[in-house]
Amino acid sequence: MPRWLVAVGVLATAALLLALPHVLSFSQREVLVFMTINILVVCSYRLLTLTGEWSLGHVVMMGVGAYASALLAKKVGVFVPLAMLLGAFTAAMVALVLSVPLFRMKGFYFLIGSFAAGEIIRLLWKRFRDPFGGPKGIKRIDPMPDFDLGIWNFTFFDPVSYYYFALLVVLAGLFVMWRVEKSPIGLVFHAVHWQDNLARSAGISVRAYRTLALVLSSGFAGLAGALLAHYIGTVNPNMFDIEQMVYVLTWAIVGGTATFYGPIIGCVVLTVVNEIVLREIGLEQGRPMIYGMLLIGTVLFLPKGLEDLFHRLSRIGLLFSRQPRGGQ
Amino acid sequence: MLELLLQTGLNALYAAAYLSLVAVGLVLIFGVMGIINFAHGELFMLGAYVVVALYSGLQMPFVLVAAIGLVFVGCVGILMELSMFRQLRGNPLGGLVASIGFLMVLQALVAMGFGVRMEHVPPFTQDVIILSERVRLPVQRLIVIIVAVMLLVALWLFLKRTKFGWALRASAQDKEAAALQGISLRTTSLIAMFIGGALAGIAGSLTAPLISVTPTMGHSVIVAAFIVIIVGGIGSLEGAVLAAFIYAFVHTGVTTFLDGVIADIVGLALMLAVLVIRPTGFFGSADRA
Amino acid sequence: MISFPRLTKRQFVQSMIAGIAAGTAAGLPRTALAAGETIRIGFLAPLTGDVAAWGLPGLQGCEIWAEWINEAGGIVINGVGHNIEFVGYDNEYDPSKARAGASKLVIDDGVKFVMMLGGDTWPAVQPVADQTGMLFSTLLPSDLGPDTPTLIAPAEVHPIYNVTGVEWLAENYPELKTAVICAQDDALGLPSVATYLAAFEGAGIEMLEDPLLFDPSTTDFAPVATRMLSSDPDIICLDTCYSAYVHPLMEQLFQQGYEGQIISCTLDFYDQITAKTSVEFMEGVVFQFPDFDDPALEADNVNFRDPGKFFDEFNERYPGQWGAVSWEYAAIMDLWKWAAEKANSVEPADVLAAMTETGQGEHIFGTADWWGEDLFGINNSLVGNWPVVVVENGTARIKEFRSIPDWYARHGDLLKQYMTDYGLMWNQR
Repeated sequence: MPRWLVAVGVLATAALLLALPHVLSFSQREVLVFMTINILVVCSYRLLTLTGEWSLGHVVMMGVGAYASALLAKKVGVFVPLAMLLGAFTAAMVALVLSVPLFRMKGFYFLIGSFAAGEIIRLLWKRFRDPFGGPKGIKRIDPMPDFDLGIWNFTFFDPVSYYYFALLVVLAGLFVMWRVEKSPIGLVFHAVHWQDNLARSAGISVRAYRTLALVLSSGFAGLAGALLAHYIGTVNPNMFDIEQMVYVLTWAIVGGTATFYGPIIGCVVLTVVNEIVLREIGLEQGRPMIYGMLLIGTVLFLPKGLEDLFHRLSRIGLLFSRQPRGGQ
Repeated sequence: MLELLLQTGLNALYAAAYLSLVAVGLVLIFGVMGIINFAHGELFMLGAYVVVALYSGLQMPFVLVAAIGLVFVGCVGILMELSMFRQLRGNPLGGLVASIGFLMVLQALVAMGFGVRMEHVPPFTQDVIILSERVRLPVQRLIVIIVAVMLLVALWLFLKRTKFGWALRASAQDKEAAALQGISLRTTSLIAMFIGGALAGIAGSLTAPLISVTPTMGHSVIVAAFIVIIVGGIGSLEGAVLAAFIYAFVHTGVTTFLDGVIADIVGLALMLAVLVIRPTGFFGSADRA
Repeated sequence: MISFPRLTKRQFVQSMIAGIAAGTAAGLPRTALAAGETIRIGFLAPLTGDVAAWGLPGLQGCEIWAEWINEAGGIVINGVGHNIEFVGYDNEYDPSKARAGASKLVIDDGVKFVMMLGGDTWPAVQPVADQTGMLFSTLLPSDLGPDTPTLIAPAEVHPIYNVTGVEWLAENYPELKTAVICAQDDALGLPSVATYLAAFEGAGIEMLEDPLLFDPSTTDFAPVATRMLSSDPDIICLDTCYSAYVHPLMEQLFQQGYEGQIISCTLDFYDQITAKTSVEFMEGVVFQFPDFDDPALEADNVNFRDPGKFFDEFNERYPGQWGAVSWEYAAIMDLWKWAAEKANSVEPADVLAAMTETGQGEHIFGTADWWGEDLFGINNSLVGNWPVVVVENGTARIKEFRSIPDWYARHGDLLKQYMTDYGLMWNQR
């Protein structure tokens, strides 16, 4: 592709992302904020799956970031943006500690082990009312301080402002993850997944790279949790339970994890369907049923995920664009 | 104190009984098909709603209703295999997501059909075997224990003594070798799903008068069942039964002598410890890791 | 934190929202009601999932309420009747979804009042209330706080009313001297534990053991029953256990041979518990939620239209779904209607002013005081009498309407002490 086309594409996407909230209703903007944060969650999840491990504790790592950031801001008085970064760091460190027992396991055992580890963390939040607030969690978490940039007055109650802020953070996170994947480290991640023994015989410490993937992905999940905590102003253990994890898992699998954009498609499509389309239809009781049928339908008929559909569509598009030049 | 210990033992025995029924089915499905059936708790729930519809509603005899629960939920298992899992062979993550989708459908269907509130299931007997003032075994609980033992023994005989059982064990051990022996994975999967569903269903039916029947009741069972199959070793039926005993005694004991929240933490820590020390569980074969 | 003076900031946000809503009638700025225009009321509670039983039956009750009110001419504002319409939003008991739902109801749908279950979902909605000035109600007064003057708890003052049952028990059965309590470890269970502990201490009843907490996902209650029986108490207190716990707990207490006194906050579907135990076992159980065909509710001081007819109608439409929440949200609507008609306005600020101007309001169980500064930092809960209900011969009957403020005047310090111990005071949040 010519360079100018890439530049135009990037500019158009940027303009689209900036304009997006202004065509939505107020509550749809709220959904947009949550979706933006969730994209960071699901993309960081994919980073871990590159090494072939599927975790059920990822959302709890998000919670670790949320709790840490909330407590630092509220009890210690740390400046909120700094608290968010420290929250992400805390999640990464907790993941580092957990990696010691967890990476004795692989595959299905890792899946279940990560679930157990996550549940224990959640039960600790419930059990220790000081400082975690017990089952009701932490309330009245400091919001992002408002500020005026001249061109835009950031009032963080306003979902548009918070969307811009979250978008910036999430894009930065995605950029880092993308660079990691394209770097030699990312290649090793793939190798660890597909050629475990080969990688080991080539002198690669498989475990070190798995740990690196877990720590990085947990750090970004923690960052997403912190973003969420300072927007809604409360965290509690139930926000990070297995049900929430199931949503992240389905976004990733329905979207497809072979490409970088697969999980993003999954998250966007399923969120829009669940939170906007099905609610508009007015089927309150039937909503989980239709969502469930969509999940089944997708894995049955699009086993490679929505990204595959996307891929095929873009190929058809490419075919069309080539036609004038005489087909193949 | 002795009475307290004895009563706790009886409490744990019952918990072990229904947990084994659920866990053994889960293990069988995973062993034969390689699929983690996340909707297994909902099969348990369906068994309970069969009782709500036929016993509480239509006043049919409880024994008959329990038998219907067994067969009906077994058939739902077959339906899952035919409509979803068969197409997803070799795609365990797809199977997992499909079972999550199925779980949501079942929960919503039941909530729409019966309402979100708890359902009433009258007891089929109120008799209690009084061993002493503070050691009592309600007959309803005793029946759960007896039926669980009978079914598990029957399953064991089926697996060890019949041709189908042999085929099932063969495909659980090595799918390719089993296929070479002319064993059809299609048939064994159908049998595994039927048995798994039936055991979860009868567990739900039998315990329906003793627990709270709601559309979301499957949640709590599935977590305990996962702990049990990990501790026992995935793919090992004997391990699952033994682990159900260990888990039930530990959980019941800690609840009685400390409290329920600590019991949950201990249960999970037990599972994590087993995973760390011996990732394949007490009875699991090492090559599955 | 950098912050604007509150009013300026709110005005700023309101002008911003008004900008968004321009062209639709949904803006927050005061809009005169058109003649015959339907008034929309928001219902923001869990309608699916684990906690749905605390939301959905309430919405169903409100639909009946709306039909009756609309048939009778609706809400009369300045002599003109307006129909009421409820707009539901399923928040799945999730804070993020609750926030999106609050924005949708308040800003996109233009409702005039939002009823919530509260609890976990309230803190996320609080900014929306702060910034828009919308009037919200909760069933859980522990959500109240001095920073949000537009949040009220007008129906249920859970768990404070539990003191009435304990006090009644102590007065009528002074021979009962010891008690044990169990509760689920969640946002509803713990404040209730603190309240019962204060009530028992106030009544001179000794707790034999620390409260036995269990996880909300518990299904088998035999160990809990065994543990409570092991200390041979005169009274077993089931706290604010949900019916999914109360039923198996009662069944186990019965099967394990308990014959003493039981006190519980709720006893939904107690006829089903009777079926699982016996009429003798149930005799004398004390709880706090009357049947709606109780003759005592026909008294003049009760502010609920045709409770018996409402009960029958609900049971006919939604068999087996009746519970305390079925009437609580409808009772809040009665109060709201009373205040809106008094103010001749449906604007949140006017209705709130009319509700609270005399310091008293028409609570379902009689005229009550706006109260709670001590506990919640703001007088936004409507507290007066609450019924003490006792099972007699298989039927629940109101024994007495007992005053909560009177109890508080005697033992308020105890309650504050226990609430502080459990970290539940408003200034500890």
